[in-house]
Amino acid sequence: MKILFYFTILFSSAFIFSAGEYRCGSMECDYFEADVSDKASLQRGLSTYMNYCYGCHSLKYSRYKRVAEDLLIPLEMYENNLIFDGSKIGELMEISLTKEDAINWLGAYPPDLTLEARLRRPDWIYTYLRNYYPDSSRPYGVNNKVYQNVNMPHVLEDMQNNLSQSEYDQVIYDLTNFMTYVADPSAEQRKRIGIYVLLFLIIFTAFAYMTYREFKKDLK
Amino acid sequence: MSENTIGKKSLNWVDKRFPVIDLFERHLSKYYSPSNINIWYLFGFLLLIVLVMQILTGLWLMMNYTNTAEGAFSSIEYIMRDVDYGWLIRYMHAGGASAFFALIYLHMFRGMMYGSYQKPRELIWVGGWFVYVLLCAEGFTGYVLPWGQMSFWAAQVIISLVGSIPFFGEDLAIWIRGDYIVSGITLSRLFAFHVVLLPILIIAVVFFHILALHEIGSNNPDGIDVKKHTDQDGVPLDAKPFFPYDISHDFYALGVFLLIFCTVIFFFPEGGGYIIEYVNYEPANPLSTPAHIVPSWYYTPFYAMLRAIDFPLFGLTAKFLGFVVMAAGIAIFAALPWLDRSPVKSIKYKGIFSKVFLAGFVISFFVLAYLGSVPPTETKNMLAKVFTFLYFAYFLLMPFYTRFEKCKPVPERVGDAA
Repeated sequence: MKILFYFTILFSSAFIFSAGEYRCGSMECDYFEADVSDKASLQRGLSTYMNYCYGCHSLKYSRYKRVAEDLLIPLEMYENNLIFDGSKIGELMEISLTKEDAINWLGAYPPDLTLEARLRRPDWIYTYLRNYYPDSSRPYGVNNKVYQNVNMPHVLEDMQNNLSQSEYDQVIYDLTNFMTYVADPSAEQRKRIGIYVLLFLIIFTAFAYMTYREFKKDLK
Repeated sequence: MSENTIGKKSLNWVDKRFPVIDLFERHLSKYYSPSNINIWYLFGFLLLIVLVMQILTGLWLMMNYTNTAEGAFSSIEYIMRDVDYGWLIRYMHAGGASAFFALIYLHMFRGMMYGSYQKPRELIWVGGWFVYVLLCAEGFTGYVLPWGQMSFWAAQVIISLVGSIPFFGEDLAIWIRGDYIVSGITLSRLFAFHVVLLPILIIAVVFFHILALHEIGSNNPDGIDVKKHTDQDGVPLDAKPFFPYDISHDFYALGVFLLIFCTVIFFFPEGGGYIIEYVNYEPANPLSTPAHIVPSWYYTPFYAMLRAIDFPLFGLTAKFLGFVVMAAGIAIFAALPWLDRSPVKSIKYKGIFSKVFLAGFVISFFVLAYLGSVPPTETKNMLAKVFTFLYFAYFLLMPFYTRFEKCKPVPERVGDAA
């Protein structure tokens, strides 16, 4: 009976792990591992985001202040340099582009990206931003290997042309790293607390086990 | 302890007015469980803990949740970002839902393996089955509340199944939704069910389930009736008091369970997309259907059955038939006590057919769970049909194979086993 049971699990798991298709459009996703404890990387990513993406893509579930505090940026410096529309530091990171204007100018409303890294996963974003290619049949003259016939122009085109491949990759790494952070800002705190919770539970379980063992002796 | 301590006095005072001592003895210190029960008997206690956890975390979530189509999605992000430890409460609740189902499936499988549903425990089993059905409804209504893409489209798909009922289905679906499509009206009524009606019913039926269990007592892996042999005081010989012997075992199990559970919620809170689906991080959009709509992992076996029926029959649509098969897949558990004609309870002493069919059931459950979670293809649909058939064969052929197979003799006392 036991053998049958393990066989069942083995058989079923072989099934579950056999599925395979490209998650990144026409190609495999490139390897990406976020490091949200690297504050310098997150700060560089934030600066790229605010200067190149934020004109169209809001981060409306996040607050300026939270980002400033988590990224160790002095509030005053943040207010002076990274808030463009006179918002208060405690406000949500909304943009001034209206839906009507966006549809008139771009044909679509650029989505909010607060949760993009959770929705599409960081490695998708990293691969996507590094795989624009020239395509004269498209309105902006570019297309993307990950997102076929994408509506978004290649806003980092100048940067890509002026930087070396590795420098550009680093910019995209930092940007993706920042987007990973902003999608799940409590991740660091969560893991830190998690360690203590598990340590407590190991002690709890050890004592619970010893109690159980003591009582079990009565039954022999 | 002396007779006149404050503690003793107050206990006596209360006990004259409310039977605390009697209840403690009847349900804990003099409630006997068989001495041979094993780790499969720990899940009931863990389920109770998870139920309490879900109620408490749910209460705290509700303090900051907005049950409108406009506000639901952003209120979840508000909880995740602006509420102190809101992320923890939400991950506990979402992870708790998955834990609830994982544990209840193990708990049910224990009953199927050891024949715990057999006479005289039919009502315990049916009560437990009803908790499972309520839990399915609770899980579904809760899943809709974050109002992400998968919330919306899961609600759309599931409620549209009602629309497949002949004659009045479409009207019934509109009545349930309160609208022509799933909308804010649907959201707020599912919210009301999720936080008021269903939890009250679940608590009530769990109470019934435990009360019925404590009347008859637990079954055991050998299916021996331990109440047959008692000492002169009527205490079963092959048993031990629940308190402290089982409860200490249960707390040890709780520690192990929490180690696993907390590893998940602190380090893998999305569970690789199985606890919180990635697609649900996009707000609900009635104008854009996700590429493939998949339910939560704990419903996928039944979703696969729904999709397996892709042919109309006797003038009934494929969708309606699929709905019926899916509902039957859940409902049929309730009939187990009357399908099993075996003279023995436990799989240990049942014949080869019972073992083969139970294994077939487990395999089909896992394979259907997989098939329900991936986009359908022709081969996969064929497989879904085969395994749906195998799933039902376990139940529907049970009256025959349990009656004619050759069983091993059940020992009289626990010590005599094997």
